Amino acid sequence: MRAKSRSLFGVALAAVFVAGCGSNVTLDPVTIPAPLIEPMPLSIAIRIPAEFEHFVHEDEVLGREKWRIDLGRSNAALFSQLFEFMFDEVTVLGPDDDASVLSIDALIEPSIDAFEFSVPRQSKTEAYAVWIRYRLKIYDSAGDLYANWPLSAYGKSEEFGLTGDEPLKRAAILAMRDAAALTIMNLDKSTAISALKDRPPVSVASAESQAAAEEAETTSSKQRGQLPKRRDVTLPPPGPVAGPAVLAMDPVETDPTDTVREESTND
Amino acid sequence: MTETNYCPGKALTACLVALTLSGCITSRVEDTREGITGIEEGESVVILAKSYHLGNETEGKYISCIEDALARGSNGLRVIPHKQFVDSLFPWFEPRTAPAETKGLPKLMERPGVAERIAEQNVRYIVWLDGDTDRVAGGGSLSCAAGPGGGGCFGFAWWQNDADYNAAVWDLKGLESAGSVTADVSGTSFLPALVIPIPLIARARAAACKGLADQLRDFILDEPEV
Repeated sequence: MRAKSRSLFGVALAAVFVAGCGSNVTLDPVTIPAPLIEPMPLSIAIRIPAEFEHFVHEDEVLGREKWRIDLGRSNAALFSQLFEFMFDEVTVLGPDDDASVLSIDALIEPSIDAFEFSVPRQSKTEAYAVWIRYRLKIYDSAGDLYANWPLSAYGKSEEFGLTGDEPLKRAAILAMRDAAALTIMNLDKSTAISALKDRPPVSVASAESQAAAEEAETTSSKQRGQLPKRRDVTLPPPGPVAGPAVLAMDPVETDPTDTVREESTND
Repeated sequence: MTETNYCPGKALTACLVALTLSGCITSRVEDTREGITGIEEGESVVILAKSYHLGNETEGKYISCIEDALARGSNGLRVIPHKQFVDSLFPWFEPRTAPAETKGLPKLMERPGVAERIAEQNVRYIVWLDGDTDRVAGGGSLSCAAGPGGGGCFGFAWWQNDADYNAAVWDLKGLESAGSVTADVSGTSFLPALVIPIPLIARARAAACKGLADQLRDFILDEPEV
């Protein structure tokens, strides 16, 4: 009987230790304050991919602690709110929704390329840090990929006044807020999305009938010569080594039709 | 029985004495004035940390301490909580977008709604905090042991914390720098132990907070020279 009790105690103790080696963090949908900006006179749609809507990151810290960070709907909520503030008309689409029925200037599809974080034990500081590398793909009204913009966001939070996994959540929220600020400041500079405004409202591709497809192709080929060049951006190296970019208040104006260099993806 | 009652009393007295004792602190607080300051009734001040994107490590605890210290007392200033200010001006005071120099202020004020939001809150000065508190040295040896007959600690340990902070004051009336206040505090704490450890703690960060806040208040309240 005593031996059985001992073994039960041992199992319970082991369970406590195993449980103590992992952390589960779940983010609630974030909200951002209304930004002080004039919305762009564009009608856009946002398509939220399924993996973006339910992004989960799993990692092992120092080969011991297992972390599972569930960003849940927070990213979808962030970009939906942000674009509502940034554009005159916004339609939010699910992963399987057909954009061809909409009369829009552009379709934006956000995704996450990479997510990284650090805890105080790793960084030897009192801070938790989160890096998120997003990618915004912008399609024109003909359904062609018009711009492909990666942006790296960074958030840092110390433990002061926070308990448990709150500092990491706070750091993730600050990284998302950083992404929002970066998008507001640089979306148009980096992608020239506002140039899509003057295009006639043609439905996004995936036309239902051949006639509609031919008509769209004819219109597209006529106008393609007048459109800004398609922009394709090389991805910067992953993780903290890439470091957060610092923006000046008066960034140098650049020709929006220039190819964006790797170093300038966040500038 | 009586002795038992006395012992806790003595221990309590020892604790109180220990608490009233503190380590050694050396402090230097200076200001550099670039313009005439002063604040009118209803005008307010915001305390912000310089961006962590620029490598700044100012602790949230220190910012709150300065906010509280500036607002306290009969000549306390009207302090707008930094989170409220940053949210109200989103996204222009985020770590990534906040102006790094006063020359960015005119363009910032031209952005839609920015000047109005600042005017609504009647913010006259923005104070940018930079710096942190670090442990720069330490040493000694302390060991504790416990047995059936009791326990105790023997030895001596010490450590030194340096708190270096700078507060840059921006005047939003003239859109220019008004000057800066710096606090450089070094505190050495001791922990001698002869059965009972007696901590003699030097609170460098707290001293830097009080010193900088007092000087900052004087700096801002300074009446213009005629």
